[in-house]
Amino acid sequence: MSKVLRINMEDLSHKWQNVKPAHKTYAGRAFTSTILSEEVDPTCHPLREQNKIVISPGLLAGTLAPSSGRLSVGAKSPLTGGIKEANAGGLTGTRLGNLGVRGIIIEGAPKNSKDWYSILVGKDKCEILKTNQYAGIGLYDLIGKVWKDHPTKPGIIGCGVAGQRLLENAGVFGNNIENSDPGRYAGRGGLGAVFGSKRIVAVISDGKGGSRPEAKDQEKFDEARKTFVKSLNAHAVTGKLKDDKGEPYGGLKNYGTNILLNILSEAGGLPTRGFRSGRFDKAAKISGEAVHDLVDKTKAKFGDKAEGKYAHACHPGCVMACSNIVPYEETGKQHVSPLEYETAWSLGANLGIGILHDVAELNRLCNDIGLDTIEAGNTIAMFMEAGIIPFGDGPKAIALLKKAYDEDSVEGRLVSSGAQTAGKTLGVTRIPSVKGQALPAYDPRPIKGIGVTYATSTMGADHTAGYTIAAEILGIKGKVTDPRDLKKAELSQAFQATTAYIDSTGYCLFIAFCILDDDDGFNAMKTTVDSFLGEDIDVTSYGKDVLKKEREFNKKAGFTEADDRLPEFFKTEPLPPHNVVFDVPDEELDAVFKGF
Amino acid sequence: MISMIVNVKLYATLRKLAPKNVQIGEAFPLDLDSPTVNGVLHKLGIGEEQAKIIMVNGTRVTKFDHELHANDTVVIFPPVGGG
Ligand code: SF4
Repeated sequence: MSKVLRINMEDLSHKWQNVKPAHKTYAGRAFTSTILSEEVDPTCHPLREQNKIVISPGLLAGTLAPSSGRLSVGAKSPLTGGIKEANAGGLTGTRLGNLGVRGIIIEGAPKNSKDWYSILVGKDKCEILKTNQYAGIGLYDLIGKVWKDHPTKPGIIGCGVAGQRLLENAGVFGNNIENSDPGRYAGRGGLGAVFGSKRIVAVISDGKGGSRPEAKDQEKFDEARKTFVKSLNAHAVTGKLKDDKGEPYGGLKNYGTNILLNILSEAGGLPTRGFRSGRFDKAAKISGEAVHDLVDKTKAKFGDKAEGKYAHACHPGCVMACSNIVPYEETGKQHVSPLEYETAWSLGANLGIGILHDVAELNRLCNDIGLDTIEAGNTIAMFMEAGIIPFGDGPKAIALLKKAYDEDSVEGRLVSSGAQTAGKTLGVTRIPSVKGQALPAYDPRPIKGIGVTYATSTMGADHTAGYTIAAEILGIKGKVTDPRDLKKAELSQAFQATTAYIDSTGYCLFIAFCILDDDDGFNAMKTTVDSFLGEDIDVTSYGKDVLKKEREFNKKAGFTEADDRLPEFFKTEPLPPHNVVFDVPDEELDAVFKGF
Repeated sequence: MISMIVNVKLYATLRKLAPKNVQIGEAFPLDLDSPTVNGVLHKLGIGEEQAKIIMVNGTRVTKFDHELHANDTVVIFPPVGGG
């Protein structure tokens, strides 16, 4: 039986509760968004005691279903002022799944406390520990200390110094399987600062004594998950590392998500130097192919001592394994893990930086300080846009980001506060944000469907909310559409609803590349969920139900249709090389959620 | 049969079919016997299912019989995904 753990940080108490019957099919994003919409006043201050943090492993986390161990974290977002769900891999989803924890709800905040706390969750137990020694330090240090203090290889999530200082671009970090990097981020929306506001540094999940969650129809579940693994392994995007001839086969395993950098650049949709061009002349140097070659090169040079990797899994049981470990070229030792596409873009192409080492270093700093990389790159771009440091200067960008360690540095605080705050403070008028959250790695001018998602998503500009890129650029589920074809609303709505469902199951969103292409894979995936719950779940209506609650929350928080818009410069500044603007009419944007 | 030179870029799992020492993102010249996208695929031994995304001079083309001209740049991607 799954349980809900409710923690009150005001009096440092906790209680275990049963999952409400009405919530029995909810997990992951469906759980976090439902609890927030039922329990949190949408108008509350996100960094004061009325906000709540909701943590929920996906429905299938801890089972043997492939790539199903994702964890959702939700709260009212300090960055957007709206509802937020961010999800990530790492160990915590699996651990909580095994412990039978459907969700953790953290409410209240200690009054006038100078102390820092961590929450230790285990089999039928919860302790709120005073852990001042975990505060004020880098996160690489922190995860090492936690594993030393708790030698059962626990999952860890929480906030770094940025979150402890309540800065709006603080992400929620997570340790990886090896505990070598805190880089598994539920990054977006500043949820790390909500942890900080409740004086929590870490939530530590000790899986000891846990067990695999059982499906209602275990036989059917097992059969379906095996079929699903076959589908994933066979697909050219999600598939195995090498083909029968030993040649590289699966795109994600070989090159990670950063396989996209070159294609977006070639397609003219890669935002470069602060969204001024759609092509980056140094894209190849920081691409997934470049990381693949660097890993191979350092392996050949350093043999067993080489720590670089591709086909690296972010959580136990991921078969697609898109993660990587980027090595230092000179030593072969780990520099950062993972370097994903969005990050290579935000800290690379978007800043005009084409040196892999510098991009990896910026990524490592974000992981250590506790920042979301997408927002951090956009924020540094504001400093460049304002002329404080030049575009393309890696060492200066690194020096700027390092100021974030210094509690007394105003620049350090600003660089941790997101693109909108930094841009406005620095007098920038081209701030690429929607609902306060900065855009990710696809320019909405040549790729208009993703622009519709950015504008209308409940999350602020978020590519994962409705990843129309799959259809628009990658040719998955339908052909690439003519850029002048404006009927993007339907596409975006369909993707947004399906995504909300996937975000609730525990499955990694990247299964979409396979299931959108392969009906057997889709059916097997759906069967795992249905047989687990013993109920037939309709994918689209389940997803729409989640979106409806999120829209409702945002409406009560004060959002209107006027917030479902892209910044003006996307409509007026043509993007080279295709020289197009974002010209989807407002009515079309509003049509996405008409009738919701 | 007239021969004609175009420039080709191969990415991701297709890179193995480019001549050795060609850098990532670097175009290499290819002498074609037949001036179409198909001619390029045929010459390099790329199956149609592997050539998921094809761009000619920066514009996506979807027809394998798309006609090419001398010095065109042809970029070919296998199925890719990420995000
Ligand atoms: S595909 Fe990548 S992001 Fe998704 S679960 Fe696997 S390793 Fe993690």
